Amino acid sequence: MEFSIDDLMKTLREKEEKVKAGGGEKRVKDQHEKGKLTARERVALLLDKDSFVELDLFVEHRCTNFGMDKVEAPGEGVVTGYGTIDGRLVYVFAQDFTVMGGSLGEMHAKKICKVMDMAMTMGAPCIGINDSGGARIQEGVDSLSGYGQIFYRNTIASGVIPQISVIVGPAAGGAVYSPAIMDFVFMVKNIGIMHITGPEVIKAVTGEVVTPEQLGGAMTHNRKSGVAHFAAENEEEVYQLVRKLLSYLPSNNMENPPLVECKDDPNRKEEALLQIVPVDPNKPYDMKDIIRYLVDEGDFFEVHQYFAPNIIVGFARLNGQSLGIIANQPKILAGCLDIDASDKAARFIRFCDAFNIPILTLVDVPGFLPGTAQEYGGIIRHGAKLLYAYSEATVPKVTLIVRKSYGGAYLAMCSRDLRADQVIAWPTAEIAVMGPEGAANIIFRKEIAQAEDPEKVRQEKIEEFKQKFSNPYEAAKRGYVDMVIDPRESRPCLITTLEMLSTKRESRPAKKHGNFPV
Amino acid sequence: MKKYKIKVDGRVYEVEVEEISENKVSISSGKFTTSPPVVAKTAEEVAKPEPPRSAKSPVPAKEPAAAVTGEEVVAPMPGKILQLRVSEGNTVKEGDTLLILEAMKMENEIVAGASGQVKKINVAVNDMVDTNDVLLVIG
Repeated sequence: MEFSIDDLMKTLREKEEKVKAGGGEKRVKDQHEKGKLTARERVALLLDKDSFVELDLFVEHRCTNFGMDKVEAPGEGVVTGYGTIDGRLVYVFAQDFTVMGGSLGEMHAKKICKVMDMAMTMGAPCIGINDSGGARIQEGVDSLSGYGQIFYRNTIASGVIPQISVIVGPAAGGAVYSPAIMDFVFMVKNIGIMHITGPEVIKAVTGEVVTPEQLGGAMTHNRKSGVAHFAAENEEEVYQLVRKLLSYLPSNNMENPPLVECKDDPNRKEEALLQIVPVDPNKPYDMKDIIRYLVDEGDFFEVHQYFAPNIIVGFARLNGQSLGIIANQPKILAGCLDIDASDKAARFIRFCDAFNIPILTLVDVPGFLPGTAQEYGGIIRHGAKLLYAYSEATVPKVTLIVRKSYGGAYLAMCSRDLRADQVIAWPTAEIAVMGPEGAANIIFRKEIAQAEDPEKVRQEKIEEFKQKFSNPYEAAKRGYVDMVIDPRESRPCLITTLEMLSTKRESRPAKKHGNFPV
Repeated sequence: MKKYKIKVDGRVYEVEVEEISENKVSISSGKFTTSPPVVAKTAEEVAKPEPPRSAKSPVPAKEPAAAVTGEEVVAPMPGKILQLRVSEGNTVKEGDTLLILEAMKMENEIVAGASGQVKKINVAVNDMVDTNDVLLVIG
């Protein structure tokens, strides 16, 4: 018997409709009641209007264990395909919790792997939207293999295309490692949960009682663990944040970040910059004020806002050119470098370097945070990451020293010796091996001890050391600082410097890869 | 408030006990006389004989065991209390500056992590504090 084209079209429409209904009306309703959107609603919010092209609509699982041969899983619990964000190609997969709890089986994983492979081949970002109960247990080791296939691709794609993970549901057990290998993790408060072992297991093993939100909610991972880089109040907000992040990034490691038309005067001079940094070096201030005065339209897109806030990292533009900013925050922990701050900054630097985003470092650092907790926690190997990441980076590196820059921390914050291309200082800069008090106590120990009035001599010596070294000129004499500038002229100066560096080429000896001090 | 001398493994500990209800007892402070301090924190620990293990590795008094509960504001790093901006009983909002901790040559503002009332202040101006010392409690 022959089918007419109308029959064939009817079959196609029916099949499409069935899959696009996901887990059916009831489960979609449940999903909405939990304050969550469906996978297709999510993709629609993320991408440019009507740009989504769905792939692998008709993929089916082939598991026959435990009666699975009779179970239908429309779309295999994941929606995959491509579309555009601000007109630029991206690939996307969104797990569909309404279909078998978004559980990951062999074919579910194959759908994800297909778009990841395409993203790498085409050189476009890949965005994963996670909302899954975990492995599809009926599929046994095939399901585990699925995770492994994804982890491997995440790793191979790392540094080739930007990879972004959005957590809008559970991501438990092995499922957390795909987001962890990706570049940026976004979480939505109250619905996104990430943990290796859940509250029940923890209670059984250690007796600790903890709620899922306390254990692995958005703020836990944004503030405490640093697993997540961004927290959003709701799903509408999170997809806007993802779109904004992508606006700073190139599509792949062979491209430069998009140049945006700059509506802000490149020659803008800011009176306020003279006043922000207190003359008394013991007074804190908010480094973010300086950043906002420097960058285009005061627009600073902060990454890891809540984690290790003693260092600030994020994206901004100067004259329309994307750049990554790393800055000490004197307001918190005196701006000291510690384990978490080193970790946070090092990973950000490596991202910028991988994707050709110039690095601006703003320095006001008294040193590394002292204490047994830091030493026992391995500040030596964590701090080493910062030095390594800066040294390794070959993108344009510009350092602006606004106030303190002492000792090992001076070196670590992208000093000339770690191959900063330009080191610029404000007249308020203090660049020395250590603070005046400590230095005077060591250098003039005998004189102070033998003096009739040791305290008076000590103060004199501190003052002497301050006069001689608490300034940028000693470093400038040796060429460690290229320029000492009027703070008001920082913006035009940085723009000129970055333009001068735009053709930078730096080659390194061929090697498989360095041994990053992870 | 009653004072007791307790002997554990030949070491003498001076313990102050305050009765706060019929069947609950809490230790408000503990002082050692002949060896490093052991602070029993809960009624259970007082009721039970001190196990020798904990007597040999004494726990330093970190937080007062007074029955004040709430959001604890701890020192983020070692330093000196330079200024107290609040007193007990004050109402504070999240983000308000509570005190100034001088550390790493910086006058660090210690801010409230939660809104509420200042229930207890454990430090005074010029006190030296260590990382994670409880400075005050907001309830």
